[in-house]
Amino acid sequence: MEPIWLATASFPVLLILIFLRVPIGLSMLVVGLLGSWQVYGSAMPLLNQMKNLAYGQFSSHSLSIVPLFLLMGQFATLGGMSQALFKAAEAFLGHRKGGLAMAAIGACAGFGAICGSSLATAATMGQVALPELKRAGYAGSLSAGTLAAGGTLGILIPPSIVLVIYAILAEQNIAKLFAAAFIPGILAALGYMLVINIVVHVNPKLAGSVPPMPWPERWQAVAAVWPVLLIFVVVVGGIYTGLFTPTEGAAVGAVSTGLLAWWRGGLTRRKLQEAFESTAGGTAMVFMIVLGAAAYNSFLALSQLPQELAGWVGAQGFSPYMVLWAIIVFYLIFGCIMDSLSMILLTIPIFFPMVSGLDFGLTPEETAIWFGILVLITVEVGLITPPVGMNLFVIQSMAPDISIRDTYRGVWPFVASDLIRVTLLVIFPAITLVALRL
Amino acid sequence: MNNIIYGLSRAMAWFGAVVLTLIALMSVVSIIGRALSGFGLGPVPGDFELVEAGTALAVFCFLPWCHLKGGHAMVDMLWHKYPPALQRVLTVLSDAVMFGVWLLLVWRMGVSMDEYRHNNEVSFILQMPVWWGYAASMPAAVVGVIAYAWRLLESLGLASPPVGFAMAGGGH
Repeated sequence: MEPIWLATASFPVLLILIFLRVPIGLSMLVVGLLGSWQVYGSAMPLLNQMKNLAYGQFSSHSLSIVPLFLLMGQFATLGGMSQALFKAAEAFLGHRKGGLAMAAIGACAGFGAICGSSLATAATMGQVALPELKRAGYAGSLSAGTLAAGGTLGILIPPSIVLVIYAILAEQNIAKLFAAAFIPGILAALGYMLVINIVVHVNPKLAGSVPPMPWPERWQAVAAVWPVLLIFVVVVGGIYTGLFTPTEGAAVGAVSTGLLAWWRGGLTRRKLQEAFESTAGGTAMVFMIVLGAAAYNSFLALSQLPQELAGWVGAQGFSPYMVLWAIIVFYLIFGCIMDSLSMILLTIPIFFPMVSGLDFGLTPEETAIWFGILVLITVEVGLITPPVGMNLFVIQSMAPDISIRDTYRGVWPFVASDLIRVTLLVIFPAITLVALRL
Repeated sequence: MNNIIYGLSRAMAWFGAVVLTLIALMSVVSIIGRALSGFGLGPVPGDFELVEAGTALAVFCFLPWCHLKGGHAMVDMLWHKYPPALQRVLTVLSDAVMFGVWLLLVWRMGVSMDEYRHNNEVSFILQMPVWWGYAASMPAAVVGVIAYAWRLLESLGLASPPVGFAMAGGGH
């Protein structure tokens, strides 16, 4: 078979394997290796290529940022900052209508600033906020939707593991991507709060109430979150100003959140072991996918499919925005069933050359960064869309009394807000790019 | 036997995380050294190379535990609709492929390590032999082979996990 048709045929094979519950990374690895074998026509070139496959991928300097950010998130959790952030947000928002849910969003945004993973944010903030929301009389559907959506702020607000992977694949500057993600991330948080505001006005029964906090207590609660602010400014600021490399920034983040956790007495032996095991599990999962994607993408490159496809799309004379919308819709649909990282690793090598060949009236770098932020947001929607929304499962596992039906019902207004935000960012690239033009 | 394999995998996961913490500390020391270069200090020599070798070691240490925990990302949307017999067959096949592919990769990694040992290639700054990095990760990679083989035996019904061991779903 022609290599290009072989590559085309490999997509359905890959999907079938994935739906047969073969781990996603393993599916890509096997299909990629078998495909390369076919293209080479003999086993020897493939066996040579495999010599450095595992070690080469695992010893990548730019990817070392991923386990360091995961470790940072674990330490941040042990540092008890989630509690402090929630208290601070509650102090100012709690007594308003739907205010406690808004406070949960605000606290998620704060936690997202020192954590690069959505599941960790959803899990950590869920632990703190779900019981409080229940005690104050909030409906299960609203609480679950709020925390699932709020969790996505973990990757939307820098630092963000998904953006790191995109930066590596598209060969873009991580610092600039982090800077560009900031305003869309804040917009996401504000959009979610607006959603809560609308939802509780349409159906006031969904919200409970809490009495306002006296002012001295409010200032105390805000003062307690200074370590979060400090760590965020040092890590993201240091990366942005070039004081240190992104990997070093992640190391600074891990060490400072580790010290914070130790100082606040969170580093008991048992908790440290749990944190280490979570870091191990998360890292191994990411690198298994990275390994599989490396094998699969080198097969695709060998088959020339990405170049041919980019050339074909360029030659059809589609309008650039039509192609962009098609990609976004593709991500939204696949996001319902695939996990975000595999999706990015699989598709960016194909979509990125396609998009960078299109003219949006932006410089090539601006196009790359803008597209990266759009991809980040669209794959993030996949975390909260049924049936396979990872954040929904996380919240579900923490609040078994909220039925999955209620969770689904609670989350759709947030999905709607995501879609509106994506549309805005597509129509006005300046929202994303203004941070770079300063 | 199952206690040894699970215990070893778990201990390796902790060890990998300790390595990771040390990498982070080393990077911070390196940044401070660089910032104070006016006072006769400097960055840790070869910090870049140490981060690379250390990360590889950590990842190799993490993989067996993640697999035993069932922690790899997978799509189980349709899983509960499959008949139990099909579920069993699929689990065996998936575990067998994992074992087979990993065995192949570790074999090739060993060949590569041997080649680097004979051509004496060294790293840029530290002049550290390249094969040392491979050698450091090799034991963990081999434990991976054993752990994957054990999981295959488990899915074939020939072995069982330790009492009270709970699997987790994948995700990130």
